[in-house]
Amino acid sequence: MVISLQRVFRPFAFFAAVVGLTLSSAFAAEFTAELDRDSVPVGNGAMLTLRISGGRAAQPEIPAVENLIVQPRGQNQQFQIINGQSSISTSYSYVVGSQVPGDYEIPAIEIRVDGELLRTLPLKLKVLSDNAGQPPAGMTPQPAGGPPAEEAAATDEGDEKRFGFLTVEVVGSERKHAYVGEIAPVRIRAWLPENARANLRSGIQPEGKAFTLHNVSSRPQQTTEIKDGKRYTVVTWYGGMSATKAGSYPASLSVDATVAVRDTTAPRPRPRRGGAFDDPFFDSIFDNMHAPMVQKDVTLKSDDQEIEVRPLPTDGRPEQFTGAVGNFIFERVEIPSEWVAGEPQQIGVRLGGSGNFALMKAPQVVPPDNWRSYSGKDQFAAGDAASFSGTKTFQFSAVPRKGGNQDVSLAFSFFDPAEGNYKTISSPVKEIHVSGADLVELEADAAPAADPVQAGDQLVAQKLAPGPVKALEPLVTRPGFVNLLILAVIFAVTGKLLGWQRRRRDDPRRAAALAMENATREALENARRCAEARDVPGFFHAARLALQQRLGARWNQPPQAITSAEVGARIPNESPVAAFFREADLHEYSRQTTGEILPRWRALLDEALASITHAARS
Amino acid sequence: MIRQIIIGLLAMWLLSTTAAAMRAFDDANRRYEAGDFAGAAAAYEKLLAAEGSRAAVLYNLGNSYQRLGQHGPAILAYERARLLTPRDPDLRANLGLARKAAATIEEPAEHPRLHAALQFLSRNEWSWLLAGTALFLGGLALVSGVMKLPRRGMRQMVVISTFLACLLLVASAAALYLRGGEEKLGVVLSENATVRLSPFESAEALGSPRPGQMVRLGGENGGFHYVEVPAMALRGWLAREDLAALRLR
Repeated sequence: MVISLQRVFRPFAFFAAVVGLTLSSAFAAEFTAELDRDSVPVGNGAMLTLRISGGRAAQPEIPAVENLIVQPRGQNQQFQIINGQSSISTSYSYVVGSQVPGDYEIPAIEIRVDGELLRTLPLKLKVLSDNAGQPPAGMTPQPAGGPPAEEAAATDEGDEKRFGFLTVEVVGSERKHAYVGEIAPVRIRAWLPENARANLRSGIQPEGKAFTLHNVSSRPQQTTEIKDGKRYTVVTWYGGMSATKAGSYPASLSVDATVAVRDTTAPRPRPRRGGAFDDPFFDSIFDNMHAPMVQKDVTLKSDDQEIEVRPLPTDGRPEQFTGAVGNFIFERVEIPSEWVAGEPQQIGVRLGGSGNFALMKAPQVVPPDNWRSYSGKDQFAAGDAASFSGTKTFQFSAVPRKGGNQDVSLAFSFFDPAEGNYKTISSPVKEIHVSGADLVELEADAAPAADPVQAGDQLVAQKLAPGPVKALEPLVTRPGFVNLLILAVIFAVTGKLLGWQRRRRDDPRRAAALAMENATREALENARRCAEARDVPGFFHAARLALQQRLGARWNQPPQAITSAEVGARIPNESPVAAFFREADLHEYSRQTTGEILPRWRALLDEALASITHAARS
Repeated sequence: MIRQIIIGLLAMWLLSTTAAAMRAFDDANRRYEAGDFAGAAAAYEKLLAAEGSRAAVLYNLGNSYQRLGQHGPAILAYERARLLTPRDPDLRANLGLARKAAATIEEPAEHPRLHAALQFLSRNEWSWLLAGTALFLGGLALVSGVMKLPRRGMRQMVVISTFLACLLLVASAAALYLRGGEEKLGVVLSENATVRLSPFESAEALGSPRPGQMVRLGGENGGFHYVEVPAMALRGWLAREDLAALRLR
């Protein structure tokens, strides 16, 4: 019986044991480690997930592996109730990668759960050398240290927005429709992530061909703003948008740019900073400062806004309407008072207001039958950054066809988009006098002369004469230029030298000094000859003459006027000059015609000459 | 007699050359008027290669390329024409249209008035002004050296003209110095031009300037030119076939 009972209960016991083991294993603590891929390119990361279930534990520590960068990415906790049984599991996520290619092994990670030591299996990660930034085949492209696989599947649009976007706002208008040719002032803003570097590769352009963009401000403003909790550098332009055709079209703008942003998700080892900053809280601050830049060619776009573009109504369109859309007034009109029939004169007019100034043409002279007008010059002065408001000045020629006194004014028609109707404004009437008889003209002559530059986006016509051949290289880069400059310098230097020579030649003082020197030299030569001929009076006469020449030059007197008395009065008696003059008086007038010229006299003469020269020099 | 024959032959050769150039120019203009813009562009290019640069031919060539929608070559031709005739209003208008159509951004002038004054004359004209004033001053010095100016009024006139010539000399020298950077300007021609980090095809792309964008040219390496795109704050290497220097070498 006992045996039979055992036989009966054995299957139940076995079943109970299996169920018990299953349940115990189901609710036992568990610790697993998992990598979402087994290979990554250099600089990219794989996602490591450590999952602890069935108990509570502190955050696991991952053993250090040389060159392997482990960056914590957060933790996730799940609490489940299944069939009344609760369970808790905690996941820790890390981005694991390296800047050095190779095979890496993450050793077994140990953790103690409710006193029980649990260990994961070692994991292997292969870091591939960078192949032009392309991830290995079969892997999802992902920026360095990018989001996990499920996040990486984000749309391209989202990725583009990461690099910035455009916004467009119509300034000062609540209308949801626009008219063909109407220009609406818009504020265009490029929102770039803070600290991003951006280079615009194109001008701002409308998407599609239904709108055109005009007068975009050349110097955009730059501010820093917060949008959706994120800080942006905002670059703002002003411009005017106008519709080119009727219908409902999405209006958006785009600009091609190269934008570099900091990749704050790149895997980087957490450096040990020590001190007060050795806290994970500061990681994001410091990591953002040192995060690598990711650069990309992107097209920044604004969101599409459907705009209804209405055609200009045909009802009530004035005859002289030439396409101006906006709101304008006459600010200044200049019409001469005296005219001659058939003779052109200039009319000046300035229109101010807001709208599409590009479509504005000169007003009509009223009454039109009495006048023939020619297109002339116009000049626009913008009143705001978007050139939406301002003034346009026209200067054109008009010819009166009829003589006599006339009342003249100017009329200008435009479409006012705010009110949705046409308006014609007139300038104050001016009374003028036209002398001469009425003109009788052929219709063909009445055609206005063509402008050299047509309004609108049309090219000015071809040139009809080829003109002379010219070098594109400027003269300054050709050797001839240096030669010309050298020639100029030679001219200048030669001129200066010649001028100096001429001035020297024409200097009267220098001429007098030269004459004195010549006379002195001649007198001394005579003295020498007299000395050789033993002509004592002749020697002293000639020597005196030489001294007189020297003294005359020094005292600025004629040499003949210098007598022994004057020398005695102006020069001390013991000086060689005075001594020589005394000797000369003695012998010149002694009538001793011949005799030995004593060397003493010659020495005295030399001494006298030297003293004068010395005195002159000193 | 021989001299007269040589002069006559030279005059005939000159006249025949001018007449041939006129015929080629008229032929190109006719093609343009007929809407054969590609044929007109080729004819203008041929005329330029055969005869040398003429402002009107370059201008018409720019118009032809503009009609073909080739903004890069159009802006290049207009810019070359501007080197010869900087004050041509037609040229300025068409260049503006071409730039607008090409949607290129140019570096805004830091001092617009100074920029306008410097651009009023071409670099060639500034060069001639500098050389002319230098020669005038040199000649004046030579005349003053050779002969004494007889009257006081004449001497005052010489002093005043020397002062004015010195002013012109300094102004033209300063203009040439300030516009020295234009020596190495180029224009992007291709739609697919890409500025790269290094001078080879597989190097990292830094940005794509638009056709017609003005660039500053640096050194050459292989088939690449180092370029700076001031309007885009971009520097790197651009394939040689994607750009053209403003000045023909």
